[in-house]
Order: sequence, then structure tokens, then C-alpha cells
Amino acid sequence: MRDELLTGAENTWCPGCGNFGILNAVKRAVSALEERGIGRDRLFMTACIGCHAKIFDYLSLSGVYALHGRSVSVAQGVKLANPDLKVLAFTGDGAGYGEGIAHLLFAAKRNADITVIVHDNGVYALTTGQRSPTSAAGFEGPSTPQGNEEDPFNPLVLMLAAGATFVAREFSARIDELSGIISAAVEHDGFSLVEVLQPSVTYSNTYEEYGAAVDTVREPAATLDDALKLARQKERLPSGILYRVERPSHGTRLYGDRNPVAGHPSRDKRLERVNALVSS
Amino acid sequence: MKAEVFTYLVGGKAGEGVKKAGTIAANMFSSTGRHVFQMDDYPSLIRGGHNFTVVSTSTREVLSHYMGADLVVALDERSYGIHRSHVADGGVMVYNSDVVKDGEGVGVPMTTEAAKYPDAGLRIGVSGVAALSAAIGQSPAELASLIEREYKRDLENNIAFAGAIHEHVRRSVGGRFPLTPSAAPPGATAPGNGGRHMFTGNQAIALGAAAAGLDMYVGYPMTPASTVLHYLAAHEVDLGVTVVHPESEIAVANMAIGAAAAGARVMVGTSGGGFALMEEAFSFAGMAEAPLLCVLSSRPGPSTGVPTYTEQADLRFALNQGHGDFPRLVASPGTVQEAFTLAAEMLAMVWTYQTPGILLTEKHLSESRVTADIDVGSAAWAEPVPHKGEGYHRYRDTDDGVSPLLFPPSAESIKWSSYEHDEAGITTEESDTIVAMHDKRDRKGASLKQHLRGVRTVNRFGDDGPVILTYGSTTMSVMEALSAGGIGARVVQPVYLEPFPVWELEDLRDESAIVVEQSSTGQFATLMAERAGVRPSSVITRYDGRPFEPRELAEAIGGAAT
Ligand SMILES: Cc1ncc(C[n+]2csc(CCOP(=O)(O)OP(=O)(O)O)c2C)c(N)n1
Ligand code: SF4
Ligand SMILES: [Mg+2]
Repeated sequence: MRDELLTGAENTWCPGCGNFGILNAVKRAVSALEERGIGRDRLFMTACIGCHAKIFDYLSLSGVYALHGRSVSVAQGVKLANPDLKVLAFTGDGAGYGEGIAHLLFAAKRNADITVIVHDNGVYALTTGQRSPTSAAGFEGPSTPQGNEEDPFNPLVLMLAAGATFVAREFSARIDELSGIISAAVEHDGFSLVEVLQPSVTYSNTYEEYGAAVDTVREPAATLDDALKLARQKERLPSGILYRVERPSHGTRLYGDRNPVAGHPSRDKRLERVNALVSS
Repeated sequence: MKAEVFTYLVGGKAGEGVKKAGTIAANMFSSTGRHVFQMDDYPSLIRGGHNFTVVSTSTREVLSHYMGADLVVALDERSYGIHRSHVADGGVMVYNSDVVKDGEGVGVPMTTEAAKYPDAGLRIGVSGVAALSAAIGQSPAELASLIEREYKRDLENNIAFAGAIHEHVRRSVGGRFPLTPSAAPPGATAPGNGGRHMFTGNQAIALGAAAAGLDMYVGYPMTPASTVLHYLAAHEVDLGVTVVHPESEIAVANMAIGAAAAGARVMVGTSGGGFALMEEAFSFAGMAEAPLLCVLSSRPGPSTGVPTYTEQADLRFALNQGHGDFPRLVASPGTVQEAFTLAAEMLAMVWTYQTPGILLTEKHLSESRVTADIDVGSAAWAEPVPHKGEGYHRYRDTDDGVSPLLFPPSAESIKWSSYEHDEAGITTEESDTIVAMHDKRDRKGASLKQHLRGVRTVNRFGDDGPVILTYGSTTMSVMEALSAGGIGARVVQPVYLEPFPVWELEDLRDESAIVVEQSSTGQFATLMAERAGVRPSSVITRYDGRPFEPRELAEAIGGAAT
């Protein structure tokens, strides 16, 4: 039977890739959201460029397959234009934490009402395995054959410091947990970051490592400091919604309940306004 | 001729209210129905340095400021030194005698007078207005009501200060330059009855786009494009246009593409450096077929260049923007009126043909303030071809290359892509599909070109004399130079530069022509030679950041024509 959430495009991820878990979790989240009254017609996705981004071709949702590192900007443009939409931006550790890091920090800072899902495999997979912003020191890739000379940064700490109002981490193999987090993130009124630990079987096979290190967090931390403590843990990987707080979203602060697309004026109405300004 | 034009020049330090004085002078002239051209010359700093504003006015249309001024007001010593040579025959220099000793002209102790009130330094610009008021024969009462209209803060002190300066100037040159009012355009709704409205080029661009249905403007500040952002932000509520200022030009362009995909008529604006940052997204818009209108307002380059001055050296940059083959629209307005019409027309066209466009302009048009009759009702309206029925494919391969648009929320899946894609928007690497999609976009480019054949793409003025080719804001300089010098010529101004309207220029093939432009390498001249087969007999360039001066340009044209 044809899966109506899939486009039917040929899937070219390596067998066993962590991206499959993310795809399945998203599909489940879409169904769950639908049951809760958020139809898939209102879901809109954007993607960067990388192995992770191929999810755009596979999922039968409306969206924009954007440039490398820019899905978060495109997503914010969509959301500002039509705030009735729920926008999901798919990005990778290279695209999101590297090329497009400024957009991510600012989306968190302004509490843009979008959900960012980062497929963090610690490598630039699609371009054949170079080190990424989250690769460990010493990581050997084609651009660092002598070993990565930089330390990785901690994206969760970064996002919390930038003002993210929803920060979660989950392992791509834990599909139930991940789908629950994604639907909660979409429902969150404001900026949500879902950092997904995603093994790349070809370049960085971390299934066992992550499986052994993941701890379930049942309740988000009560304070930002507590959330930062969770995010800073090194040996264990607390997973779940680490932090969640309510703050007015960017669109609300920018223009209240205006909806630019739904409120597109008639020509007469607009000319009336322009005329008033021209002759004032 | 020159005599019908009255020119007022006021110079001083940044922060002294020089531009404000110039603006008030311009308002005063335009409110009597006179035509006005105001040019602000200022360095990229907030305090100090040297600023000046030139306002030329006439009972006929005036398309440039003149550097020979009838009345010069020098608020500081530097202005006196610089602008002494700008006093026209029969003109008057009014200078601050507290800082200039034994000057020539009318010395007024502006600093001493200002020192009687708080914030003396910030007030001094008011003396520019007071001197002008006296010189054109206004009474102290008229001056007081002018100050009341134009200065909101510290009124009483400003009126007293202005009155004192007025008295000094009145004694020697009071009423020297009486100005006759001019007939206002028919149907003009007048500021102060019978007046004309003034707009900067950037205001006209903003208004034109708004009149075409703009929903959103996204911008990152960069002179000389910033005032589009400021103007629309100031009128966000009364116009109903959402204005966003994100973290960088890269964010700007990508946000705008997202907004367009959601159905918002959107525009972005910047100068050369910011536009370089948008280049990848510009190409993305070409591939994704996103309607993206960009305002590119030039300043002297390369690099950071000279931020607050003018140049036309981004022509080739605009024409060649974006990697890969895709149709694009580039056009440049010659006047403030045209900036309004063109912004609307271009927004409509990028929406019809779903491809990026560049409205190319320069500081000289963006920031000069000119009397203009803007015909709001004539603006085009941006309306895409809508999808009807079932079975949606974002990139449906149609005869004219234009795929109907559908916006979310929708039960259909609408997929836009930066990758090469099939009709449904799914990534492809198939050779047949790659070719089909290239061909589709190229056909769309051909449809756009066909459409342009029905649009006014080239302006022509005059029917005798040598051919002069020019474009953008330099058109105004050329037209004013011709009236200043009493020169007859046939001026040809391509408004659209891509698709290049070669069909309108056939008669110029192998013709010799004078080319006037503001670039050091003659980018426009070589373009016209390459694309229209014109033979530039002489290329008059200026690239010191300053716009052409009409009398100087008239001389250069006269020289080139003989
Ligand atoms: C501007 C730009 N620079 C570089 C590339 C090439 N590129 C494509 S994917 C990629 C890295 C992807 O890494 P990541 O975001 O981690 O995705 P992954 O493949 O690991 O899922 C790069 C550098 C590009 N497409 N665009
Ligand atoms: S290279 Fe790695 S990330 Fe890419 S599909 Fe294969 S396993 Fe997945
Ligand atoms: Mg990666």
C-alpha cells in the first residue's frame, strides 16, 4: 500500500542510516498532530542541503528545499508571511551549526515560531565525510587527515544562551520519544530546537555509543541554569525536552495578530492608503 | 537658462541641522507650486565633517541641483572655504562671522546669537532658514510661522534665534531674491494650497511597490538603500506592509524567498556589498522560480567604497548577478516619477514570471528629493497566475514556461526547490528532466521578453541633434544640462536593461553617440556597443562620487558634440 505521507521518490540514504529514524518519527508526529487538530495542509517544511535534507524529497509535505545553511531563514520568512502555518526547518550539523549558525542564533534570540530539527551526525556526510562543528577533536576526515584540530561546540548550550524557548535532544533510534518531542515542538508557541543524535553508518557510526549514553529526561528543567547543567553533561546524554518556557513569539511582538498573506489588501483598498500617504 | 533657476546652498557640520535647513527651504519653495530639486551631500559620519545641501528651484521642471548658488549660507569656516567658489554671479554669501574673519559677503554672528540659548551647536542650522527667509523677502512673522511648522522642539528659542538672524540678513540683502509662485499641477492636493509634493527616489520606490500590493519588505541597513527600509517601517501601519530587519543580507534574501513561497508580495533592498551577500539566494530564486524583487541602490565601489555618495558601477554586477542560467529582470528608473511606476511594474512582472528582478538605482536618485506628480492609480498590480483544479505540480511544464501558483495551506503538496527538480519539485539528476526544466525556464524568459515588447522599455527625449545615451539617475543630469546649456539633442534612455530591449534600439546600430554615465570604465557605453551595436564617439564619465553638475555637463556635451 502506498504511504500517503511519502512522495514515492527513491530513498538513497545508506541502509541503517539514522535519518530513517527521523523520517519515521516525523511521520508519526504528523499523524499525532493531525489527531490534535493541526492538519498536514498547515504544515510547511524547509530543508538545507546535505544527506539530512533529502527528507524533503521523501516527505509529502509542502515546503521549500532551500540552500545549504538557509532553511532556518526561509522558514522564518514563511512563518512571518502566514502565521497560520506550522513551519519545520530541517538542517544538519554542518548546515545549521556551521554555514547558517547566525540564522539559528537569531531565530532563537527573536523566538521565531518555527521548529528546527537538526540531524546531528557530527560530520559533513553528503560531501564525503569532512569534520563538522560538532566533530570531536582528532576526527579524521578528508579535510583533516591529521585529525580535527578544533574542539566541537555544544549546540544545546549555545541555543539556550541565545534564548531558545524550547530545547530538546533525542536519539534517532528512539522513534517514539523523538516523535513525541517533534509534535510537542511544533505545538510550542515560539522557537523550538530539536537536536537529534543521528548516526551516519558510513562516516560516523555512533549507534552503540549513543545507545549506551542516552538518559531519559522526563520533565524539562525548572530553570535555565538547570537546563544548562543538563546540556553540559559530557559522559551521559540527557535526552528529552530539556527546557521549555513561554515567551511571546517574534511574529506576535512584530505585528500582533496581523497575517500578511491572509490580510492581503484589495487593489482599491491599497491604492486608497497609498494615495493618503502621497497626498499627505 | 540658468537665470530661471534659483539655487540655495547651506553648508555646515554634521549634527548642525544642515539637511533640515535644506529640507525646509525645499518645502518652502514647493509649497508655492515651484519645482524643486534637493541634493544632500554628506559624509558617512554622525557628528562633525562637512555637510551641505543644495536646493534648486524654478517655475519649470528642474531635474538637478546646480552648484552655482544664488544664496550660500556657510555655518562654519570649512563651509565658507569650500563654497566661496559656488556663489553664482549676482549671488550672496551669508557666513558665520564668529568663525570667519574678514569674509566676503554678509557676515552674521551666528555662534554668538546661538550661544544665548541652550544647545547652541544643534541650533545653528536654523540660521540657514532665517537667512533664506530674509533674502527672499519674507517678514519676521512669516518666518516665525515657518519655524513653527517645521521645528517641533524648543519652538520659542528657535523663533527668537531665527528672528535675530533674519534681522541681520534683512539689513543688507533683504528681499534680494523674490520668488514667483508657480502653477501647481492640475488636481494637486496641496501642502499649503497650490503646492507640489516632494519625494525622494527611495520613497517613490517604496510607494510604487506598495501600490502594486507589497505585503512585506525585508531589509538590512546599507546606504543609500536604507531609507526604503526606514520609510516603509515608519508607515508599516498606515500602509499595511510588514517590515522585517533581520541579522544579515543573507537572511534577508532567504526570508524573502520563504515569504514569497507563502504567497506574500515581497521586496528587499540593499547596496552593492549587501547585494553581493544576496547573490546565492538570487540564483536560488532563479531555480526555485521565486518572485523576488531586489532594490540595488549603488554607491561608489568597489568594496565598502564611499557609502554616502553616488556611482553607476554596479551595472555589470546587476546584469550578471547569480550563478547559472536563468531569466532575470533588470531595470533602472531615470526620475522619481519613473521610480514609482517602475517599482510597481517590476513587482507585477516578477510575480507574473516568477523570477528575480533588480531595480537598479543610485544614491543620486535614491536620496535626492524632488517635486513629482505621482499618479497612484497608474501603478501595476502584482497578481500571479493561479492554479485551478486538481493535481498540483509546482513546476508544471507549460507552453509559456509559467507554472501556475498555489499557496499553503493546501491539501496539495507544493514543493519549491533550489535543486534541479522535476515538475513536482522533487530533486532530479535525470538528463531529460534537467534539459526539460532548463528549457521551461528559458521559455519563461522568452515570454518575459515578449511581454516587454508591449512595455515602455526605452525613453526618448528630443528629436534633433546628436544622440546621447544615458540611464538611471544620470538621465536627470543630462536633461538638466541640456536645458542649462540650451543644447538640442536626442536623448535615449533604456529603462530596461535585461532582457535588453534591442528591438527598441535598432535605429542606433552603427550610429555614433555620446554616452554619459557615472562609472570609471564606461560600463554602460560598452554594454550599448555590445548589445545595440552603437558606436560611442565620446564617453563622458564622472566617478568622484558626486553627481554631474548641469552647467559642467552641458559644456562637456557641447565639447563632445563638436
Ligand atoms: C554554499 C554551499 N557550500 C557548500 C555546499 C556543499 N555541501 C553540501 S552538503 C554540505 C555539508 C552537509 O553537512 P551537514 O549539514 O552536516 O549535512 P549531512 O550531509 O551531514 O546530513 C556541504 C558542505 C553547498 N551545497 N552550498
Ligand atoms: S552518508 Fe551517512 S548520513 Fe548520509 S545517508 Fe549515508 S549513513 Fe546517512
Ligand atoms: Mg552532518
